[in-house]
Amino acid sequence: MRANRSVQRIVLGGALLILAHSSRLWAVVQGPLPIGVAVSQTSNVALLGQEQVIGVRLAEEYFNSKGGVGGTKIQILLEDSAADEASTINAFNALLRKNVLAIIGPTLSQQAFAADPLADKAKVPVIGPSNTAKGIPQIGNYVSRVSAPIAIVAPHALEAALKRNPQLKSVAVLFAQNDAFSTSESQTFQEAVKADKRLQLGTAQKFQTTDTDFTTQVTEVMKVKPDLVIISGLAADGGNLVKQLRQLGYKGLIIGGNGLNTPNVFPVCQKYCDGILIAQAYSPEAPDPMNKVLVDLYQKKHKKMPGQFTAQAFTAVQVVVEALNALDQKKKITSYDLKDLRQDLNKQILSQSYQTPLGAISFDKDGEIVQKSFYVAEIKMEADNKNGTFAFLK
Amino acid sequence: MLQILLNGLSIGSVYALFALGYALVFSLLGVINFAQGAVFAIGAYLTWSLTSGSWGGGQLPLWETDVRLPFLLAAGISIVVCAALSALIERFAFEPLRRRKAEPLLYLVSSLGVAIVLVNALLLIYGAETRNFDLESMSFIPVLVEWGELRVRGIQLVILAISLLSLAALLLIFRFSMLGKALRAVAENQTTASLLGIPVHRTIVLTFALSGALASLAGTLVASGFSIPGPHFGLLFGLKGLAVIVLGGMGEISGAVLGGLMLGLIEAAVPAEYSGYKEAVAFALLFVGLMVRPQGLLGRRTLEKL
Repeated sequence: MRANRSVQRIVLGGALLILAHSSRLWAVVQGPLPIGVAVSQTSNVALLGQEQVIGVRLAEEYFNSKGGVGGTKIQILLEDSAADEASTINAFNALLRKNVLAIIGPTLSQQAFAADPLADKAKVPVIGPSNTAKGIPQIGNYVSRVSAPIAIVAPHALEAALKRNPQLKSVAVLFAQNDAFSTSESQTFQEAVKADKRLQLGTAQKFQTTDTDFTTQVTEVMKVKPDLVIISGLAADGGNLVKQLRQLGYKGLIIGGNGLNTPNVFPVCQKYCDGILIAQAYSPEAPDPMNKVLVDLYQKKHKKMPGQFTAQAFTAVQVVVEALNALDQKKKITSYDLKDLRQDLNKQILSQSYQTPLGAISFDKDGEIVQKSFYVAEIKMEADNKNGTFAFLK
Repeated sequence: MLQILLNGLSIGSVYALFALGYALVFSLLGVINFAQGAVFAIGAYLTWSLTSGSWGGGQLPLWETDVRLPFLLAAGISIVVCAALSALIERFAFEPLRRRKAEPLLYLVSSLGVAIVLVNALLLIYGAETRNFDLESMSFIPVLVEWGELRVRGIQLVILAISLLSLAALLLIFRFSMLGKALRAVAENQTTASLLGIPVHRTIVLTFALSGALASLAGTLVASGFSIPGPHFGLLFGLKGLAVIVLGGMGEISGAVLGGLMLGLIEAAVPAEYSGYKEAVAFALLFVGLMVRPQGLLGRRTLEKL
């Protein structure tokens, strides 16, 4: 009698275990289709992440109004990747547990290096909406990005500066050494300066994204009497650095990196933001049809022009949706096994080209974006010195 | 050289101002009030809100009002409010423990608890985003001051001047006023001071209020000169304040001033190549100071009785 009960318990336990395991293995795709988004919604990086949230929400609204994927709606599942690597890993894990088809995010390259490997290992496509540091698509087969590498974008700002002032000679570079993206971007700028016979690198100064006092760095910069200063940092620290640089008497040109490419830099450096040149992977004035869609949607809700981070986030969702639609043409999405869908989705993403707000884009075999249109904008502050615009140079 | 001196003294004088608040409380009760770091942050945010008219922006929605006070008035109100807040902290987080003759460690834990609660309240109200003072609200300060090769932002000179004047005034008060005598008497022995007719409780509350005012002043100066990076910046400043009083001599008011100025100078003297690590410098000093001269620069070695 006792032996029988033990046997029954073992059999029952085993059956439950097998059942649980099976239900995980045989997860079936059903609507609405979950697309994970892990971007920064708190901390200083929220300044960028909030624009990305707007971008993905507009895309969700737009593509669902167009029928979603073969008549099935998509659903954006948001997780906060905050500012640090640990929070990003938590966000990715949360999305993976929710059986998302793909993950868009994170906001910073630094975070991508930490969290993308998790998704790659789980064989879930990751699309970086704003990860422009070197080496992102090489993290794994499932990693791609719609944000062009800074190595391609940044030199456009340098050319614009030289066109503005052909007499440029001495250049000072400052960068946030504790941010992988800023360090990577700064290396690109420094290499471009060294490679250009017209320019001379006067000094390269480091700071931390958590710094607020840049007196030491600015003092060193002023010693070399630069004609051009190039700053790679985030909006809060980069903007503060610009303010202190101007307040200590620097009057020459300033190039800001991608981290300063956000309206949220305006309240930080206020009137001192005026004149900063920033290379752009997006222009709200671009003629592409999908860009007109984005601009119309954005203006209706926010009464101003969308920025690069919004456009890139929108584009990331567009890429996933159009790839899903292409798959749906061959085999109904809702008849897919989740695991197989993720794999096929990744292949499809990399094999297609897309007409996006960024222009025509596609991906190379690594998942690197192939994009042709780039721009340079200059910050123009309004009379109140709290609001400004990115005025695109011709 | 002179540039480093000015850079260092400017931030060092604020460290001194903040650390003085620690030193005052420590000299009276023999404990560190960690809540002071939170009061520092509250002072900064309060001054910012009063000048910008903006409140909240974290979990609480951003509330824009048309009531924008002049900077100096806002700073003054902030100082008064934070003095009152510190007095309340004494009343609720320290006085009950003192009445029970609790161990010094419990004071520390209590003040740390208050600090964490207050910082998280700021996070709830304001969120973690950076805040910057409107440049127009400080347009009465010259932007740049130059002498030959020497360049200093006007705000740095203002910070230095206000801090040094405050420090000088406080040191004079402590040395020559009845309040100063009362502080020294209570620090020496509370029971004896009480017997001599000194109002011990009121003296302690006044000391806390004064340390709160100093924290608010320091917070406002740092925020206006640089920015408010987020609610936690008070706690980091609190840790630096700790390094300062260890360096200068715990319980010694003059030591806090000297320690603060020295820390500022040492940070400013860190070669630009390594300035990203200047935070590490402060705590390296703390460590070395404890190893080499545990009583600090001006501290007295306490007699140990077995």
